[in-house]
Amino acid sequence: MRFTTKSLILSGSMFAAALAFGPDAAVWAQDATFVMPSDDVGAPSYDPIRGTKLNAATSLIYDRMVIQDADQSFHGQLATEWESSDDGLAWTFKLRPGVTFHDGEPFNAATIVWWVPQFEGTENAFMTAAIESVEVVDDLTVKFVMKNPDPNLLSNMASIFMGIPSPKAYDAMGADYGVTAAVGSGPFTLQSFTIGQETVLASNEAYAWASDLSENQGPPHIKTLTLREISETSTAFLELRTGGVDMLLSVPTDFLPQLEAEKSITVGTLPGTGIFYIPINTTVAPFTDIKVREAAALAVNQKEILDNLFGGIGSEANNFLISSLLAADVDPKLNISYNPDRSNMLLEEAGWTMGADGVREKDGTKLQVALWTQNGTEFKRVTEVVQAQLKAVGIGADITVFDSATINDQYRKGNEHQLAVRSYSWANADIIDWFFAGSRLGYPNVSMWNDPKAEELNKIAMTGSRTWEERVANFKAYHEYVLGQFVFAPIYQPVQSYAYSTDNITLPKTIRGTRIQSQTIVDITVN
Amino acid sequence: MAALDPIKKAIRSPRGAGSAAVLVLVVACALFAPLLAPYAYDIQNLPGANTEPGWTHWMGTDEFGRDLFSRIVYGARTSLTVAISAISISVAAGLTLGAMAGYFGGPFDRAVTAVVDLTWSFPEILIALILIAIIGPGLQSTMVAISIAYLAQFTRLTRAQIMALKNETYVEATANLGAGHFHIIFRHLLPNALTPVIVAGMLATGDAIILEATLGFFGLGAQPPTPSWGAMMSSGTAQIFIAPWIIIFPGLAIALTVIAINLFGDALIEALDIRNRLRSS
Repeated sequence: MRFTTKSLILSGSMFAAALAFGPDAAVWAQDATFVMPSDDVGAPSYDPIRGTKLNAATSLIYDRMVIQDADQSFHGQLATEWESSDDGLAWTFKLRPGVTFHDGEPFNAATIVWWVPQFEGTENAFMTAAIESVEVVDDLTVKFVMKNPDPNLLSNMASIFMGIPSPKAYDAMGADYGVTAAVGSGPFTLQSFTIGQETVLASNEAYAWASDLSENQGPPHIKTLTLREISETSTAFLELRTGGVDMLLSVPTDFLPQLEAEKSITVGTLPGTGIFYIPINTTVAPFTDIKVREAAALAVNQKEILDNLFGGIGSEANNFLISSLLAADVDPKLNISYNPDRSNMLLEEAGWTMGADGVREKDGTKLQVALWTQNGTEFKRVTEVVQAQLKAVGIGADITVFDSATINDQYRKGNEHQLAVRSYSWANADIIDWFFAGSRLGYPNVSMWNDPKAEELNKIAMTGSRTWEERVANFKAYHEYVLGQFVFAPIYQPVQSYAYSTDNITLPKTIRGTRIQSQTIVDITVN
Repeated sequence: MAALDPIKKAIRSPRGAGSAAVLVLVVACALFAPLLAPYAYDIQNLPGANTEPGWTHWMGTDEFGRDLFSRIVYGARTSLTVAISAISISVAAGLTLGAMAGYFGGPFDRAVTAVVDLTWSFPEILIALILIAIIGPGLQSTMVAISIAYLAQFTRLTRAQIMALKNETYVEATANLGAGHFHIIFRHLLPNALTPVIVAGMLATGDAIILEATLGFFGLGAQPPTPSWGAMMSSGTAQIFIAPWIIIFPGLAIALTVIAINLFGDALIEALDIRNRLRSS
């Protein structure tokens, strides 16, 4: 076949014209594909009320009453103003006018009256536990009558679990809600959701109620946003490098040098909001013995992991909370740090003597335990190093790698796991309640810890604080008690890193909020 | 020994000799791993992670600073143990089921054939993944999964052989002399049906090594720190741009072993003249 210059020019012009004026041209040009953080992989639904694991798309589908900035200040999203009574027993919220859900239903005071009681009986009930009732002041004003003062109320309201769904859609769909459809008032509407694979969102063209953390107060610039779930970091990295995706919402630290070497990729960091840790199942031998728990916790060499697996980026974790939280500032003696001598001594005291194969024994039983982890490069690497560190003090560990979508169900069985490598992302001290309250045995309480004194301290911390300072002190006391019982071993506190293709998208100059969520994504433009 | 004659004949061909040499090397690695490996396979040295191949570490180190050569030598043990055990179980079960189905016929044959045809219609990897999802990951689970995944192949082959042989005159004569069913099956039919099944087993061992590596790649096979070539390749993907040797050497080990098994299997087929025998039967 021969091409003449004329025919080439003609066909080229037609192609250019099709791109410029074709009906789908604008939409095609404003599509973007992001990869969710690996922690988010396997989230089974977009039901913020009943869900216990939500992913990064949740903040795009649902708006919250308030959102939190990096400086911990609160900014209105569906609420415009709020105030608390002097005794902390009443909160009044003014609601934003003109907001509609994706199904066209209006957002108003009646929505809040319906929404708050929905949490009763769910695993997220603690978020609204302090609210006695919701009273309608007028169509756009509600008053929360509190059972007890809750200085954490705004922080709860800023959680993605407090995304507000359309009451009509929620009631109509029942148990299917969040799986087959999810209807919020956020900047994107849910088009499709395949668990463990991807979520496709479309711009909510009616959106005009972004918070003041966003420059763009209208609909998002991205018209179709695909959020892919890729558990293997190396695959996600290759996708970004080869142009298959435009942005990784989370980048493991060990990939940062490789990404920074790429000319068309920009890497950014935000303060960390999570911890890698090892829950210790307190109900299964040998970890029913606190000495063995302490020995296992002290065998973990946090610095070795930080320096060698994460290139020194981030920090060692020595307790359960991220260091920016005041309740993380516990008595230094209670922090859990690498101490192999004490670890060995405790195991000897507990009757476990070193065997010929380097694994301790007691009454003919080997100190061989189950160490669980989930798919994902970081998890597997940290777990293998932890396995070697435990072996160094004579604790043999058999690793089992589970799919991230199913591991929580495995934990719920309660007595099959002994140790696990996990992580959480949460910037509030009430994460201690989430992972250690006796009411959540199995999962999230993977440590299976149910202790009367801890429950008492939990109750005081969760519901007995009148002021923020009192809450910090109560959580600190609860945190210190948890630390002293060695129900977990802290490992690592990562920073939040993200990477994006500068050829494909442009991010706002300043990233607002505690992580990359709707307030940033509505500002992202496609190049 | 007459039983070894076909092997001797296969080794006499250049293809058979070359592949046999590689297989002997791999089997030697598996058997004498503790003597051949210069380092322990599970000792980490994190500051020495991703060291390039050199005099100290001939194949470099992995992301945990473990000696890659030592892990590949021990990995041979994992791969061969899983593949040979799984295929042996599968061959033994396939011979028994196929012989019974082919000899007795009737409802038992129909039931076996239906189940075998059903599993035959799925790829082995899919069957193995389903089984591991049910029984959980690990080395023993991998063996069980691979043996069940290949069962259909050996059952079908044995059944076809038995059906062809059971009407032979010598079988009828043996029956007329009062021999029982099991005597006929195990003394007269199976020995004559064995050769093609053994060769198929040999070739399936190569496939089983790949299947074991695939399951290991997905993290479903041998669990850390036990070295498995597939799992080593999987962890190497994360380091492909900074330490490509982590993925290259286990990949080469898998490729060489499987090619050697297939070439030796081909040489054995020629030595046994199986194609002609199958054609004539």
